[in-house]
This record gives sequence, structure tokens and C-alpha cells, in this order.
Amino acid sequence: MSAGFFTDLLSWLLLVAGGFFFLVGAIGLNRMPDVFTRMHAVSVGDTLGAGLLVAGMALQAGPTLVTVKLFLILLVIWFTGPVATHALARAALQDKLLPLIANRSGKLVEGDPDKIALKDSSKPGKGRAQPSKR
Amino acid sequence: MVLLSLLAAVTIGIVRLRNLFAIVILSGIYSFLMASVMIVLDAVDVAMTEASVGAGISTVLMLGVLYLTKTEESAPVHSPALPLFVSAVTGAVLIYGTFGLPPFGMADTPVNTHIGPDYLAGSIPQTGIPNVVTSVLASYRGFDTLGETTVIFTAGIGVLLLLKRLRRAEPDK
Amino acid sequence: MMFAAAILAVLAALILTVVRALKGPTVFDRLLAANSIGTGAILLLALFGFMTGRPEFLDIGLLYALLNVIGTLAVLKFFRYGSLGHGGEEETEA
Repeated sequence: MSAGFFTDLLSWLLLVAGGFFFLVGAIGLNRMPDVFTRMHAVSVGDTLGAGLLVAGMALQAGPTLVTVKLFLILLVIWFTGPVATHALARAALQDKLLPLIANRSGKLVEGDPDKIALKDSSKPGKGRAQPSKR
Repeated sequence: MVLLSLLAAVTIGIVRLRNLFAIVILSGIYSFLMASVMIVLDAVDVAMTEASVGAGISTVLMLGVLYLTKTEESAPVHSPALPLFVSAVTGAVLIYGTFGLPPFGMADTPVNTHIGPDYLAGSIPQTGIPNVVTSVLASYRGFDTLGETTVIFTAGIGVLLLLKRLRRAEPDK
Repeated sequence: MMFAAAILAVLAALILTVVRALKGPTVFDRLLAANSIGTGAILLLALFGFMTGRPEFLDIGLLYALLNVIGTLAVLKFFRYGSLGHGGEEETEA
């Protein structure tokens, strides 16, 4: 009985943690200022949250075919999520959408990190989109 | 149900937006939510169809169409009052019709007493197919399904030909 | 019961994600939200299957996962190359 109790407890913990991270990712999706930071927030939910949820469910399922399927789903999510996010970032840069960065006075401006470092007062966004090692 | 209100929200978003890209993406979202609702209602096969057709194929097809047109919806020519009236009346009539339906899942309705039990009982001995939905579709209504498949296949070929011809007519980028 | 808690969390996350998808200023925001909604739908599906004691729903979850990435990549490819037909021969990324 104690083994079942501990499995349940661990499962609870994993599921609640997974739900928490997924929720945090969604909150970040709403709170973050631009596309790239939102991407960053969502990836937390899509990898860690999904992983914890799947682990919690797998503990409940036990060593059966269901667990194999669960981990197959997790594998698909883990492989395709980052790929999709990467493609999204590439497409966003291609579309002349530059990441927001803080200038000297701490305000968020849209721009190229290299150019911002030189002159921080003007707003050099919307220029050529240079994917600078991102 | 939360999912249904999300569906309504996404629909209003689709109606209000003018950027067609965003509309394509939102309809993909709509399909995923709709499929989730179907799962919750225990209609697994419908959910699978909705997901693969709605979120998979039609997104790709709509993008292919979008390539041929512009990405901003033009302003409506007619006043939307008459279509709104028609669809509101139709929706009201349909909702009124649901009041005549028996409650969800009741056992003594025509759906559950007329021919359903025969299918349920005869599926394994007559066809040997473990899934009842599959046996009804592929065995009892085999010719019907064959016709449907032919129609869908023809439609798919037509769409492919249409897209291909229009693309060739345009100079290569 | 534990699945119900997780389902509540995922549902709340879905609501927030739909909010972002509806008001997202750029198309990429919406696309990101769509991707996240796909993941959320998969997890919701799996959790619901477990809650009702029928985990064979997972096959459909697998299908959703594949479709989700197909949809996202199709849209992104469209953005990069302007079409779906050609472009496969230029670069094989994404």
C-alpha cells in the first residue's frame, strides 16, 4: 500500500508542477513585451510543463503500452516545439521584426543590439533585419 | 464548458479580423479547440477528422489560396444587416429544435432503441471487426463510404489541378 | 482528482493563450499561441483520457502533435518563401 501511496504522491507533485509551469508559460505569453520574449516564456511551458505532466501520467499508467505512447508524444513535442520556435524566430527576423532590448536609460526599444550599443538615444528599428547570431 | 466559450471567442476574433494570415491561424486554433470538445463529448472519430482536416489540410490549402490572393480582406460591399438577420433566425430555429431532442445519453430514445443495438450485437459475429464505428462505416454502409471516398478524392484532385494551373500562369516569382 | 487539478491548470493556460492569440499584435504572436494551444490540447486530451480511465485517447494526441507541427511549419514556410510549392530545393532548414 505504501508503494502505491508514494506513487500517487509523486504523481500529484509532478502533475501540479507540470500544470504550474504550463500556466506560467501562458502567463508569460501575455505579460512579455514582444514576440521573442514570449517565445522564451512559452518554451518553458511546452517543454518542462509537458514533460512533468507526462511523467506524472506515466507514473499513474505504470509500465504499459500507454506509457510508451505517452513518451512518444513527449518526444514529438520536445523535438517539434523547439524546431517550430526556431523557425518562428527566423521567420520573424526575416519579416524585419527586431527583438526589443533595453537601451542605456532602461527603456525597451526595438532594435539591433550592435547598433544600439553605438547610439542609444535614437530608435534604429525597422531597418535591415540582421539576424545577429540568434 | 470553458472550451465552448473559447470557441466563441475565437469565432468572434475571426469575424473581426481583417488580416487573412491571422484568420488562417485562428481557424487552426479553432479546429484544435473543436476537436478537444469532440473528445470530451466522446466522439473520437469526429475529433480525429476535425483535427486532421481542420488543423492540417485546410490550413495548408488556405495558405496555398492565400498565395494567389492578397492578405488583407477588402471592405464589405453590402450592409451586413440582412445576412446577420438570416443567420440569427436560423440559429434561433436550430436552438429551438434542440429543445425537442431527448436529453444527452438517454437509453430509451430512438437512436438507442431502433437499430443501434442490432449493430452493436451483430458487429462481431457478422463482420469480425472489433470497432463498431468502423464496421458500420466500412461494412454495413460500405458502398456509401466508397461513394464518399470517391467524392473526396475527386475534390482533392480538382483542388490540386486548380492550384497548379493558377501557379503556372503566374511568372515564376 | 489529481488529473482534474492538472486539467484546470491546462484549461486556464489555454484561456490565456487564446487571449494572446486574439489580441496578438503580429502574426507571429498568433502563431506562437497556436503552437502552444496545440500542445495544450494534446495535454488536455491525455489528462482527460486518464481522468475518465481510458488512456487509449493517446493515439489521437499523437496525431494532434504531428498535425500541430505540420500546420506551424507550413505557415512559417509560407512566410519565408512566399509559397508552399517551391522552396524545398533552396534550403532544407525547418
